[in-house]
Amino acid sequence: MYPALAKTNAALLIVGHGSTQNPDSSPPSHVHAEEIRRRRIFAEVACCFWKEEPSFREARYLFESREVYVVPNFISEGYFTQTVIPRELELAGPRTQQPDGSIWKYCEPAGNHESMTDLLLQRARDVAPGIPEEETSLLIVGHGTGLNDNSAVAAKEQAERIRGRSRYAEVVSTYMEEDPLISKWDELTTAPNVVVVPFFIADGLHSYQDIPVLLGLEAEPTAAASQREVFRQNPRELRGRRLFYAAAIGTEPKFADVMLDLVMAFDANHGTN
Amino acid sequence: MGQIDDLLARALREGRCRLGQVLIQPGTDGGFQLRHRGDAGIASETLEAFANVTDAHLIGVNDDAGVYRPLKTAPTLRRGWLLRVSDAADLRRALDILYPGQLALWLAREEGRLPATSLRETVSRQTGMYRITGKLTTDEADRLTAANCRSDGGCLRTILWTIEPGSTPCSRLPSEKFDAGHDQTGAGEAVIPLLCLELCSLVVAAGRAHLKGEKPLPE
Repeated sequence: MYPALAKTNAALLIVGHGSTQNPDSSPPSHVHAEEIRRRRIFAEVACCFWKEEPSFREARYLFESREVYVVPNFISEGYFTQTVIPRELELAGPRTQQPDGSIWKYCEPAGNHESMTDLLLQRARDVAPGIPEEETSLLIVGHGTGLNDNSAVAAKEQAERIRGRSRYAEVVSTYMEEDPLISKWDELTTAPNVVVVPFFIADGLHSYQDIPVLLGLEAEPTAAASQREVFRQNPRELRGRRLFYAAAIGTEPKFADVMLDLVMAFDANHGTN
Repeated sequence: MGQIDDLLARALREGRCRLGQVLIQPGTDGGFQLRHRGDAGIASETLEAFANVTDAHLIGVNDDAGVYRPLKTAPTLRRGWLLRVSDAADLRRALDILYPGQLALWLAREEGRLPATSLRETVSRQTGMYRITGKLTTDEADRLTAANCRSDGGCLRTILWTIEPGSTPCSRLPSEKFDAGHDQTGAGEAVIPLLCLELCSLVVAAGRAHLKGEKPLPE
């Protein structure tokens, strides 16, 4: 799919958040890394995590390659991509020469990629097959609040783009902790069918355990996704509607292509040296 | 990755065939088999067999009670499994999943390019919700380390850092906790070291919980 992309002297570092509480936070990053590894585009592919191992601080020791592309597996620019990752990886800008002479290239976060709108739409269609869009309200749910968190803006932008190119009765961006609250999903929508797509990187604490409680799907947080036999049944009749709840967008296998695209975009914007 | 392969091959030739709680044994046709060190004397056929290198994720994710292991270097690796890998490259991959990044840290240490960062420097660098950890006193930092990093129940890494810049390591832990040649499981066998070059995010979070009064540290 990417015949032009051969980085056989370079490494790819996928930077994720990870979790001390939920085992399903880091697997999407590992899965995307494994897929990219399988394609043999890079000499080395590795992940690092804020809350798991290897840590951000350990990442600098992972590679023998002298050229490292860093792709944040985050939904938006924000506190992590602008403060924590540059600080912990000691990145001075898009292109950093490390003390050992290696060049680290800091790409945009996965959630910034132009294909996100298509991926969200595809998720919405996949979770509610055969359900007419004009009889369906689509909710894109993001995190919201937090330090320098642009995920709310990102979710809002995605909702606007989808509104412009789909036939859904309505498209609304909602949040866990700020208005419009996802917990008021039935007040925010009018159509008989409601599709909710989490604009999150993984089916971790927020999208698998917190949001279902806010939606009323669960009375209290369940065990983690990987610890349950059934992922989730769709649809559910709730509050007089048919509610469809999708998996987090970051579990989409096409995220591997998104990451490769971000590497190519870096080269296009900053040159290959 | 040739340098790590060479280092690993040399260690295995020298009988240093243990990493953390994992025992590495020769398999068939040039392959290797991995198991929990506590299962060394158990017949292979009675162990749950895994044959894909990425199965190491399944082995490492939860402890024996089914509880998630956020810290892979905690002494909580579950028992009862046998992972067969076909060659040295897959051996390295499997170890890198069970103990993420550790082989690379080991190589860096062997080559003398693994500078440690003091606890004070780590907490002083924090921002956001963890900025408060910069307020930890030296004594609190010492207690924090002792409570979270001890090899019996905390973490099997050898600590390379000090509490304050240029000062001594944690006074409440035994001297072997800072000796990369020591088998941190206490079994006294020849091991490949698990290394800690600075305070991890779990312990930073524990420091915050102490300062916030949510989970005070033991004296």
